[in-house]
Amino acid sequence: MGQVYFDHAATTPPRPEVVEAMLPYLEDRWGNPSSLHATGVRALEGVERAREHVAALLGAQPEEIVFTSGGTEADNHALIGASLALEQKGRHIITSTVEHHAVLDSAKFLERRGQAVTYLPVDREGLVDPDAVRQAITDSTVLVSVMHANNEVGTLQPVGEIGSICREHGILFHSDAVQTVGHVPIDVGATQVDLLSLSGHKLYGPKGVGALYVRRGVRIASLLRGGGQELGRRASTENVPGIVGLGEAARLALGDMEWEIEHATELRDALINGVVERISDAAVTGHRTQRLPNSASFCIGGVEGESVLLSLDAAGFAVSSGSACTSGTLEPSHVLLAMGIPPWRARGSLRVTLGRGNTRREVDGFLQALPPIIARLRSMSPMGASQVRTGGLK
Amino acid sequence: MRPMGRRPDVSIDLRGNPCPLNWVKAKLRLEEMRPGMLLEVIVDDGRPAENVPRSAELEGHKVLQATALGDRVSLLIERA
Repeated sequence: MGQVYFDHAATTPPRPEVVEAMLPYLEDRWGNPSSLHATGVRALEGVERAREHVAALLGAQPEEIVFTSGGTEADNHALIGASLALEQKGRHIITSTVEHHAVLDSAKFLERRGQAVTYLPVDREGLVDPDAVRQAITDSTVLVSVMHANNEVGTLQPVGEIGSICREHGILFHSDAVQTVGHVPIDVGATQVDLLSLSGHKLYGPKGVGALYVRRGVRIASLLRGGGQELGRRASTENVPGIVGLGEAARLALGDMEWEIEHATELRDALINGVVERISDAAVTGHRTQRLPNSASFCIGGVEGESVLLSLDAAGFAVSSGSACTSGTLEPSHVLLAMGIPPWRARGSLRVTLGRGNTRREVDGFLQALPPIIARLRSMSPMGASQVRTGGLK
Repeated sequence: MRPMGRRPDVSIDLRGNPCPLNWVKAKLRLEEMRPGMLLEVIVDDGRPAENVPRSAELEGHKVLQATALGDRVSLLIERA
């Protein structure tokens, strides 16, 4: 029996239709899309069709989509590219303390080069206050970057309100939407976002490909130079099979989103309620309702999240103790700490992220498997039962 | 003047798009249309106005009309 996969925030399995769409571009449609001959044009067709599908998913125009190597590059491109392009106008950017490291490390890079960066705090549910964005804006602010949904706790940020504040002040607004594109409806027009990052493998597409939405008329500096690809916005020969796969994933997501949201929400709520009922001192992290439909996250008292993960792995369930990009580090999650959760408590974090292929039966199996694992780990843990709170945050 | 008074079913403005991107975008629209439908494509005069009709005919579509409009050209293509 295969493992039950509950780690869709880390990556999602490519859909069979995606793989099928990609194969011709690894076989007979292998041309370089920049070539003027028919072999090149056949590859270019795949790239441009994909661009239309990705644009349709976001309510954007195809020309506003720049393909990248993934979400990280899109985030780097947005922050560094916008800051470089606008440094004559101002040298201050605003972001939040709970961003993915692709944003935070770009912000730190800019800080080392003399840019000022404001890191906005979040509340206990991981929400950025739009008024705090407004108050942080100065005459030299050129960019605000706030993620659409947090990858660790699933909280959905009020990006519409933040976008509107940025527009009011004539400041660019970037949102890292890697966790939301294909999973919740996004309309770049209504959100008033100027730059938006997405990743192929988070929406049942391939790895190694993503995109940055760049609103028409917005100019940002290129990070990759040496060719005129992507209308001069990102040099390098296109990852044609990957782009085609992303396009197909976007097309499928648009058609299936309504059903997927309903399905994921039902499973997520059953899982959250089940864990809180069965495990003493299990607190839900993130916003209870304003969260990704597929994301359940907890802090469990008296255990190490990594031990829980490994025990669940042995029991046939793939989950995470936080972000896949920061796993392996001993430091507690920067997201949980920013939400005011103390380090000893943050170490007991568990993230369960559901997908289109999961079933209620799998959730029920998980809810049966978890309590004995927690009981065993608590009995063995030096953190011990003494740190288990009764009537903890629910 | 439209040929036989027919109006295009779909119209796209591809000015500013280099070759062969302009043709690829026109082709993607043609693929969504039914045989016999008319696509109007606006392209920059010069190389695009030569290449797009040539590519369309190579793929079996009929270029019914090319109208110079200053620095742009309107092409009327019947989907094969």
